[in-house]
Amino acid sequence: MKMENDRIEMLLKKIGSQQIPPDVENIAERQFSKFTDKLKEQKHINFREYFMRTKLIQISAAAVIILVAVLGIQLFRGTGQAVTLAAVYEKMMLVNAFMYKGSSVVTDNKQQGMLSGETKMESTVIISKDYGMKSESLGFNANTSRKIHQQIYILPQEKNLYWILPEQKQYMAIEFNHDLLERWSQKIDDPRDIIKKIMTCDYVRLGRKFLDDIEVEGFETTDPRFGTGEFELKFEKLRIVLWVDIKTQLPVRVEKNIVINEQMKIDSISENFKWDLLVDAREFEPVIPEDYKNVLPDGMKMPSFSEEEAVEGLKFYLEITGKYPKQLSAYLSQELTTMQDSDNPTEAALRLKDAMKQISEEGNAQKAMEMMKPIHSLAGFYMMLVQDKKEPVYYGDVVGPADANKVLLRWKTGDNEYRVIYGNLTAESVSADRLAELESQIPK
Amino acid sequence: MEYSERLKAFEEVKGRYNRFLTSVLWRLTGERELFSEAYQTALLKIWQNVEKLNTPAAGAYIYKIAVSANSTAWKDRIRKDGHISIEQNELEPAAIEKKGDDELIDAVRAEISKLSKKQSAALIMRYLEQKDYDAIAARLGCSEIAARSNVSKALAALKKKLTFFWARRNENGK
Repeated sequence: MKMENDRIEMLLKKIGSQQIPPDVENIAERQFSKFTDKLKEQKHINFREYFMRTKLIQISAAAVIILVAVLGIQLFRGTGQAVTLAAVYEKMMLVNAFMYKGSSVVTDNKQQGMLSGETKMESTVIISKDYGMKSESLGFNANTSRKIHQQIYILPQEKNLYWILPEQKQYMAIEFNHDLLERWSQKIDDPRDIIKKIMTCDYVRLGRKFLDDIEVEGFETTDPRFGTGEFELKFEKLRIVLWVDIKTQLPVRVEKNIVINEQMKIDSISENFKWDLLVDAREFEPVIPEDYKNVLPDGMKMPSFSEEEAVEGLKFYLEITGKYPKQLSAYLSQELTTMQDSDNPTEAALRLKDAMKQISEEGNAQKAMEMMKPIHSLAGFYMMLVQDKKEPVYYGDVVGPADANKVLLRWKTGDNEYRVIYGNLTAESVSADRLAELESQIPK
Repeated sequence: MEYSERLKAFEEVKGRYNRFLTSVLWRLTGERELFSEAYQTALLKIWQNVEKLNTPAAGAYIYKIAVSANSTAWKDRIRKDGHISIEQNELEPAAIEKKGDDELIDAVRAEISKLSKKQSAALIMRYLEQKDYDAIAARLGCSEIAARSNVSKALAALKKKLTFFWARRNENGK
């Protein structure tokens, strides 16, 4: 009997001495993140449904893993470890904090002021799951021969974005009181988002090569869909290349060559990635010297994203330019600013130009934001419809103010119901059949 | 507690207890799928009881959650696979000799999941975490004698469940 007692205790001690395998830690990490994301997504989570779905995903994932394992043996035999974007993304999502160095050349011939012409920037970016994002950039603008130094902190926990300009001794603190802005801000320059987007686009494998003695595999996309979705950016030219370390399955370099909205050319490289960085909360506390001026002393009033505000935005754009925007994108206000310099500006455009000039001289960002609020509301409303998958379609390229009964913008509001804003800026709800009839009248 | 506060508290739990939870559940399940199910159940229980995890009694609650999640996962497994307990005489004497400690460890794990919550928690603290009896007592909110009693009852229960195991082995040896 004594022997049996000893045997049980020995077995228990053996269980107690077992270490957690790294992949089990990853399973826990992944499940925790998924569960937390789910909680953030919806306030009243249906746990039964969640667990059923998770189990289904596990079953499907198991089937895929088996399939990949079988195919993998056939396709990748003798070529070493195969790299898949899904695996790279998955692995990146497990990293708590990482940093990288970025270098970019931005050419913007239509932009006014500090960033007109060619601007070269070198940045250091730190992204932490727990604390947010922090970047410090140093640059030089060839047109103005001015140095540029900026620090950006995006702090999801306190729902604040800080933009600090040490050269100018100025800063802005912008509160995220809108979910869309929060989601958008967190994605700025985040390589995880870039990989996620590449996966939704057509891309090609570039094969393998060595980068600084590291064997890497490349993926390239030139698919214009890269810019659609949450930002609705129109890329005239686009080339995104991702090089992944085949051993660690983590990115080594991201190259971007893009031209946006016919005016801005960006060539950038993100590299020198350091993974699983140990970061301290204090690193994410913005340091703002007392003599720095807050250019948004009353905080930033976020525009509201509603149908009414969107109509006001369209009216505002029409007044300034005499037409509706060809497309709705995050760059709408920038587009409008450049149109003030067109050959035949409207009276409203001239007034806006004068007002913006005065505001610029005063250095009052608050006033500028207020003035452009209808445009921000319009762009924000459309981006929100896209994000919420409400099937928005905008016909500003073919429908103008004279097309009173033609659909200018529409989006889904129910199973068989759509909301329509017409060319004369009136709005109504229509059935799917009626919408089809209306859309058949739109010039191609 | 507001939803946002609950969410914040839930995320704070990760920093405090995730390592513990992962380690205990892994040792009690020893298998990835089972671990995954137990861990998910634990997350749900944490979320449902997140207010309690902000009190001084949080340490005791997290043990209850781990024990209960482990027990649920094993029950589901037994329901799904049929009876895997050694009571079901699945392990024939000849096979027992061949299977060695790994199989025995699985059998012990399955039996731990059937113990009462207090006994299970006491056993985990004593053998999986090598805690002293005074620490076990403090965590369980009982006297040191009661802590010893829980560990001893847990061992006795395991022994009882596993007795036939050795009996069959001895018979086989004759």
